[in-house]
Amino acid sequence: MASKQAGQVDIGQLPIPQLNQLVQQLEQEIELFTSSLNQLKLAQQKFLESQECLNKVSPENNSKDILVPLTSSMYVPGQLSDVSTVLVDVGTGYYVEMEVSKGKEYFKRKIDFVTKQMEKVQPVLAEKYKMKQVTVEILQLKIQNQMQAQQSAGPAKA
Amino acid sequence: MAELQKKLQTEVEKFQAVQKDYQKHVNLRQQLDAQLNENSLVKEELDRVEDGANVFKMIGPVLVKQDVTEAKQNVQKRIDYINGEIKRHEGAIKDLEKKQESQREALSKLQQQLQQQQVKAAARS
Repeated sequence: MASKQAGQVDIGQLPIPQLNQLVQQLEQEIELFTSSLNQLKLAQQKFLESQECLNKVSPENNSKDILVPLTSSMYVPGQLSDVSTVLVDVGTGYYVEMEVSKGKEYFKRKIDFVTKQMEKVQPVLAEKYKMKQVTVEILQLKIQNQMQAQQSAGPAKA
Repeated sequence: MAELQKKLQTEVEKFQAVQKDYQKHVNLRQQLDAQLNENSLVKEELDRVEDGANVFKMIGPVLVKQDVTEAKQNVQKRIDYINGEIKRHEGAIKDLEKKQESQREALSKLQQQLQQQQVKAAARS
């Protein structure tokens, strides 16, 4: 029977209820990592969008007509007046005024940061998933063996 | 024997209370960790800003202009405060872990005693 060393405990030796617990624990961890990965992806998309928008805030679009959101369902017409600086939300309630080029650099840095974090999470997620697969296999094998043992013991007892 | 069961019950309740406390501290520490990361990012950004540039702080619905050095100091102070809180919680977490361990041992001893008594009572009857 294939058994994988997990720390110092041989998974192949664990009794069925322990294996069940282990599978559940691994599933929880997998869910956590998957949700983290999704959140990172969302953040990456947002930063990408912001960067794209900055491409539109350029001197050639100066004084062009735009629609300015006043509320989530109301816009008013206006004109693009300042195409040199933008206010960037850097976190914890701080906003920094910087030139458009600096803003684009800022978003590029953020995107690289988030991508790096995603690359850190990916292999861990894959590893946990593999471990879960192996544990589930061993669990199923044990359950099968137990059922067979019970069946062969049944007629002998009767 | 009923008295032993009552004792077991109180010990179990105590253990659960310690566990809840432990969980609370762990959660707080996770929150603080996230805040620390966010503030570190903000500090990095503020370090990149040239001294003359405009920095605004959002207070409610209002953006208030702030001095770059002042903003940097504020963020640094917040980072230091968060670090202090994290250390405090980590200390509490370690203590609670030890308490949990000793509670667990006491519980298993009581359980063993109860089992032995039950076996003796069954043997008598």
